[in-house]
Amino acid sequence: MSIDVEAYYRRYGPQVLRRCRFLLRDEEKAVDAMHDVFVQLLRYRGALKDSAPSSLLHRIATTVCLNKLRGAKRRPEDREDELVLQIASAEDPESRTAARGVLDRLFGRVPASSQDIAVLHLVDGMTLEETAREVGMSVSGVRKRLRALSAVLQELELEAA
Amino acid sequence: MNSPQRTPDWLLERIALGELSPEELAAARARLAREPDGPARLAALEADSRATLERLPPRQVVREIEARASSAAASASRKEARPPSRRLAPAWGLLVPALATVALFVLARPDDLADSGPDRLTTSGDSFETTRIKGLAPQLVVHRQAAAGSERLTDGAPAAAGDVVQLAYVAAGRTHGVILSVDGRGSVTLHAPDVGSHSVALAPSGTHMLPRAYELDDAPRFERFFFVTAEAPFDVEPVLAAARALAEGSDARSGELSLPEGLTQVSFTLEKQR
Repeated sequence: MSIDVEAYYRRYGPQVLRRCRFLLRDEEKAVDAMHDVFVQLLRYRGALKDSAPSSLLHRIATTVCLNKLRGAKRRPEDREDELVLQIASAEDPESRTAARGVLDRLFGRVPASSQDIAVLHLVDGMTLEETAREVGMSVSGVRKRLRALSAVLQELELEAA
Repeated sequence: MNSPQRTPDWLLERIALGELSPEELAAARARLAREPDGPARLAALEADSRATLERLPPRQVVREIEARASSAAASASRKEARPPSRRLAPAWGLLVPALATVALFVLARPDDLADSGPDRLTTSGDSFETTRIKGLAPQLVVHRQAAAGSERLTDGAPAAAGDVVQLAYVAAGRTHGVILSVDGRGSVTLHAPDVGSHSVALAPSGTHMLPRAYELDDAPRFERFFFVTAEAPFDVEPVLAAARALAEGSDARSGELSLPEGLTQVSFTLEKQR
């Protein structure tokens, strides 16, 4: 699929920047990450479908930012920030984490990362059903992936029921 | 962001973009209208979008995106090198606390290894000394950035949390590589590739900086960088698995990665000082 990068940026750039800003809590890093999100979009345009760019970019931004946050020793600013940092640094036993292709996950060639799922559900407030639809999995699959992040879930005393 | 009583931000974004089914959009708009600050939030979001496009003009952003994409593509496909040029960093970045610094991406001259000349590297106005390929051994080159300039570090050099280091590699003819680090806390960090499950294509000759500097965190004892190379593409996961195994053991400071056949490794250790 051919991409008009400028048109995509005009329409989705601010959304992507807000997402990166929320996760990284740093304007300069957020702008840098936003560029990387669109580079990903450009590099994998052959696999794109013009169905839900907003949803796709939201997830690319999430994954890019989690990668940047992994191992960060930042002092969390609030509860949500603390949760994002916990998820970013948590072991993701059912995925290859950083070594795994972001776009492979996004395009369904491999299952979504448990960490991506955790952010969508726990931080973004998506219901299990919304999360499942977002990542193209079943609700039970999402629930199972959330349980995989047991350390995080135990801390949160989450009941993904 | 995730209050159940409030339209979440992700949904607000999709309301603003209209990227929901007609039924969902109508329901979401109705829900938002019922919220005390719903219409104001939507208006603020739309105002923020306009401000963003003014502050970060599309043409400027697109130029940067295309520069990064072409740099990444050039690296991935091992295109013929061009004369050194000042470019913005490609999307081949750090996965950990990284400084979002604008680094220069220096392209190699396609020198024949037998008589490869030195490549001069510069970053942010600092000159890096030249590095010649000696004995065809890959190596990592590490500089510490400081206000007064850039200081090349030796293996085993003392370092501290907050130090900003710039990694570079000399491929010495190897075509593909992975750069990662382990620290005294047992953490493993992948520096290259940024994403993907395969090794990155290397420029075979000259010294090449990673696109961003790296700020050392407060992990105790040491930070040890590994440069794993081969003469063909290879999977990242076995290398990461070997690094995790080493990081969890007692020999992380000086032991070797247990790698699949055909992969070579070189490491560079910084001794952390409190």
